[in-house]
Amino acid sequence: MKDHTDAADETDTSALSARLAALLPGNAEIRITGVASLGAQRRTLFLDILRDGATTQAVAQIASQVLDPADIEKEARLLRAAAKAGVAVPHLLAVHAKAGTIISEHIAGESIPRRILRLVDAQADLGSKLTSDCGRLLAMIHQIPTEEFHDLENLGNAKRYAEEMEELLESLTAPHPTFRLGVRWLRRHELDAPAASVVVHGDFRIGNFLASDEGIRAVLDWELVHLGDPMEDLAWLCLRTWRFGADDLVVGGFGQLEALRTAYEKAGGTWRAKAFDWWTVARTLWWGLGLARQAQAHMQGEVNSIVLAASGRRVVELEYDLLRLMQD
Amino acid sequence: MLDRPDAATLLKAMAATLSDEVLPETSGGTRHAVRVIANLCRILEREFEAGPAGPERTRQALAELLGQDGTLPELISELDRSLCEREIRDDTGFDSKVRKLILADVERRLAIDRPGYSS
Repeated sequence: MKDHTDAADETDTSALSARLAALLPGNAEIRITGVASLGAQRRTLFLDILRDGATTQAVAQIASQVLDPADIEKEARLLRAAAKAGVAVPHLLAVHAKAGTIISEHIAGESIPRRILRLVDAQADLGSKLTSDCGRLLAMIHQIPTEEFHDLENLGNAKRYAEEMEELLESLTAPHPTFRLGVRWLRRHELDAPAASVVVHGDFRIGNFLASDEGIRAVLDWELVHLGDPMEDLAWLCLRTWRFGADDLVVGGFGQLEALRTAYEKAGGTWRAKAFDWWTVARTLWWGLGLARQAQAHMQGEVNSIVLAASGRRVVELEYDLLRLMQD
Repeated sequence: MLDRPDAATLLKAMAATLSDEVLPETSGGTRHAVRVIANLCRILEREFEAGPAGPERTRQALAELLGQDGTLPELISELDRSLCEREIRDDTGFDSKVRKLILADVERRLAIDRPGYSS
């Protein structure tokens, strides 16, 4: 059993610092300066790297071995390709797939959703700036050449996606009739295929980019990257769950859908409204199943985590969203 | 012969102590855990206050829809089975009846788990 709550305690020990220092070239010393987040999938630590008398601020992301067998190399490869395509991403300092760890430069900015929304409240034009940045950055991500990423999973086929959701549903020990309705809805409604499969970020939303008063500084958290339908990313960004209470601002609680669409199209993207609706249902279903899966991991003793257990009481929010989306 | 304070009173006090006294003393992952536990106390307080009438209403509605009796978990499993057996383009309106029934149940659970979400 892995106890997630001990992750914070581990930051006090020198063992973790030494482990991280060993991943860096040269004779570096690492000082852990803070915990950015302790997610279910990975934790993020702030570091000072002391080398040759100089100090570099950095960020380490360490995957949880229980829930995230993430392909770290894949993520690193994508980060490099994204940088080449002009997408703002943190510069990589060290990648260690076996240790499930990526160390990258520290970029100043805010990633915590409620704090970003407070910045938006305080600065009149920031919401529309963030919205147009989202549209532009997603269009750029969707134009990353796919040639070197043929090994990525392709989730763009609607029939197969519905099957995958059904498999996730079957992997849960308790029945979830709401999610069964969701799978049936996906099967009943056809999705017009995109012109081509593209690189899909897979988790582009408030919380996974760094924002400042000038807009988006960097796109983070590429571990769910795959090939597929570009509208998947746009639908995910606009899920109610990522609006943090600012429900009338569809885009992350800070922007209007029409503004996102305009920015996306201006940067070369093609918007498909029906596909956006299909993916909104599909991604709401996926996240509902994900929360149920987190709670199950606790209930079955795979992990001992109050945070994951609590996810079980958020499933009903996704059920509600899903039922409201499936009007026909 | 009743134990006092009852569960709701204790859970309310636990949530308040965690939020007002424990939380300011914590940081990092522990802080997040305390916040989560305080919220769970409030959820359980509302669940206790709501009592068993809500789940029983859902159980009765399910029994009527499915034409058979059983416990709530049994009927939920039966509903799931029944959905699986039907054609995807079932034209009896069953999906829509199920959707309506579940939506009523979801609104009841939201009042416990996340008040204000369904408004």
